[in-house]
Amino acid sequence: MPGKIKQIAVYGKGGIGKSTTTSNISAALSKLGFKVMQFGCDPKSDSTNTLRGGQYIPTVLDTLREKTNVKATDVIFEGYNGIYCVEAGGPSPGVGCAGRGIITAVELFKQQKAFEKLDLDYVIYDVLGDVVCGGFAVPIREGIAEHVFTVSSADFMAIYAANNLFKGIAKYSHSGGALLGGIIANSINQPYAKHIVDDFAEKTKTKIMQYVPRSVTVTQSELQGKTTIEAAPDSEQAAVYMELADRIAKHEVSATPSPLEISELREWAASWANQLIALETGALTSQAQGI
Amino acid sequence: MNSINNSYIERPRYLCSLGGALSTLEALPETIPVMHCASGCAGSIAWAQNGGSALQVGGHCGGLTVPSSNVGERDVVFGGTDRLTEQLKNTLEIMEGRLYVIITGCVTEIIGDDIRAVAAEFESGDYAIVAANTGGFKGNSYLGYDIVLTSIVNQYVKKAASKKKKSVNILGIVPYMDVFWRGNLKGVRRLLEKLGLEVNTFFTDEDSLDGLKNSSEAELNIVLSDVYGHETAKAYEETHGVPYITATLPIGPTASAELLNAVCGALCLEADVDAIVGAENKRYYRCLELLSDTYNDIDLQKFAVIIGDVNYAVAVTRFLLDDFGWIPVLTQFTDVLDGERQEHIAGKLKAPAPLNGPKVVFDTNASEVVRYINELYPKRESDKYAETIAPAFVIGSSLDRAAALKIGAPHLSVSFPVSNRAVLSRGYTGFDGGLTLIEDLLSAAVAMR
Ligand SMILES: Nc1ncnc2c1ncn2[C@@H]1O[C@H](COP(=O)(O)OP(=O)(O)OP(=O)(O)O)[C@@H](O)[C@H]1O
Ligand SMILES: [Mg+2]
Repeated sequence: MPGKIKQIAVYGKGGIGKSTTTSNISAALSKLGFKVMQFGCDPKSDSTNTLRGGQYIPTVLDTLREKTNVKATDVIFEGYNGIYCVEAGGPSPGVGCAGRGIITAVELFKQQKAFEKLDLDYVIYDVLGDVVCGGFAVPIREGIAEHVFTVSSADFMAIYAANNLFKGIAKYSHSGGALLGGIIANSINQPYAKHIVDDFAEKTKTKIMQYVPRSVTVTQSELQGKTTIEAAPDSEQAAVYMELADRIAKHEVSATPSPLEISELREWAASWANQLIALETGALTSQAQGI
Repeated sequence: MNSINNSYIERPRYLCSLGGALSTLEALPETIPVMHCASGCAGSIAWAQNGGSALQVGGHCGGLTVPSSNVGERDVVFGGTDRLTEQLKNTLEIMEGRLYVIITGCVTEIIGDDIRAVAAEFESGDYAIVAANTGGFKGNSYLGYDIVLTSIVNQYVKKAASKKKKSVNILGIVPYMDVFWRGNLKGVRRLLEKLGLEVNTFFTDEDSLDGLKNSSEAELNIVLSDVYGHETAKAYEETHGVPYITATLPIGPTASAELLNAVCGALCLEADVDAIVGAENKRYYRCLELLSDTYNDIDLQKFAVIIGDVNYAVAVTRFLLDDFGWIPVLTQFTDVLDGERQEHIAGKLKAPAPLNGPKVVFDTNASEVVRYINELYPKRESDKYAETIAPAFVIGSSLDRAAALKIGAPHLSVSFPVSNRAVLSRGYTGFDGGLTLIEDLLSAAVAMR
């Protein structure tokens, strides 16, 4: 019996690792036996590259540019382990309205009931980093994704972006929009980095889905045009992604986050800055490193 | 909760800035507007004009036959300049003109289409192309007039090698928003010609596109509005070094004489303004003489409520105070004006005791007018000895008919929208214009006899 399709959106600061993480989640979910579609919502249209051997696929909007009527099936391409790959695409940089492009592409799929027809278990939207206008918020509005995961490192700018996203989620939550599943902490190698994201999650009343270390395995896999799951299935990093996918599969209930006010966020960051200085001067070593 | 603020949105008294730009271009000779906007904009503008500009709408290359890129979703996503390029190419082929002006609507303005670049592609010696960012959300049609004229002044008007003595341009009378624009511009020209001036009004059948092209030769720009046309005048000043003065729309003898004196002063002319005014007054009052007996016999004296845009509200109130003798009790401005401007404009309506001038209100919702009247004439327990507003007369737009009916007063539409009159060449400016306005006012007052 086909169950309900679980639709997930991944947001986060530009370049933070959304596409890398999303592709690994898709790959891992497919290995767990789920039918997955990854939907890149980014005019760069590079979301699904590592699922397709490093190759770009024609985008929804490229196709729409050529002909007026586009069938969703024309723009779905199969990738690693049968994962359906879609790229929304967009106009050339500096012209038109990429946000409207995302809306157009997502609506096209919704109207044609493309997900239902494919009998999918998961649709994962990988949205470009700098959500600049309403169009890029479409996946988290009413009736599209239910769960949002945000990728963030322990850098202040990444956390700032995550906090902004939380504000957006809180806003749309009143009108049936997506809710927050949690934070995927990326590039967490130092103990203090873990403390920072943990603290932020606590302050904003959410949870950490996984701590993903920065790893050269990811880079090596990417250079082969592959996800870590595909290129190095037995690596420690792959295990991290498998565990993350498993948690996402088991994740049921998302919630409205409590974003910090900008002044609170600054104060919070400043208090961490002081602690990090103390850490550097040795005053806080043992405690901060959790020994 | 989400309560709509304590006011409500009334039927508007203007179009969007795109609408104002379009109607301005429709009035310019040998000019072809090219709209870069969603399909539907042109239609809405045409129907608004149809209902508001006293049956004047469209014309050659206007209304529903205006060239428009009619952008759709695809153009929004990928940028609409390709569609505009195609539209402009076709328009240049089919529509004969000397000046083509691209004007943008909200959609293309939001996505930031580079219309200047498109215009530049088509540069040619045979015609000129101007690009104006008029995106409808920028403001109302009066602003649209200013935006499009400013663009023309900066991009099209030739740099003058030298000034032409005794030549002036007229700004501030907005075609179609002032439904008497033709008549009013002509009235102003006749008036100023008495000073021996060459008067460039741009929009009438006596004007030409060359007049506009060479308009930087003018010695002076005369802006006949406290608000409209000021940006254009500033552009002339900055780009072409043409200074400007501001004056009230001259309706009737007093305002006309004031304008003659102001212009004479600004241009340091040697004309005998007193003699001109004397002769004109003689003509004016000889005409009016016919009326004086009946005026008293059948009691044509009225209390006036004036509701209108800034040009008419000031000019009509002043005319009643200074020349005609009706008593303005309430003047309501329906423009959106900031505090500083409100103060300045309210100051223009003062009069010496016992008249004192009307109560002045700034409120875009003119259906509030009855409330303001009630504030002026509070109802007492017994109405018998209470002061009431009678006999009254309402001068406003067609939207103010309801208020007039409510207070049992006759009514004349002069300010946009004017949907219950047909206007082609009629005008209220100058000495003669004052007589025309009196005719219209009194005709409405006796219409039910
Ligand atoms: N855990 C990690 N370990 C090593 N490298 C990583 C890791 N996560 C991301 N990267 C690298 O960081 C770079 C940026 O990642 P990615 O393209 O996934 O970011 P993004 O958030 O999708 O960016 P954009 O906002 O531009 O779409 C890539 O080269 C990727 O390989
Ligand atoms: Mg990406």
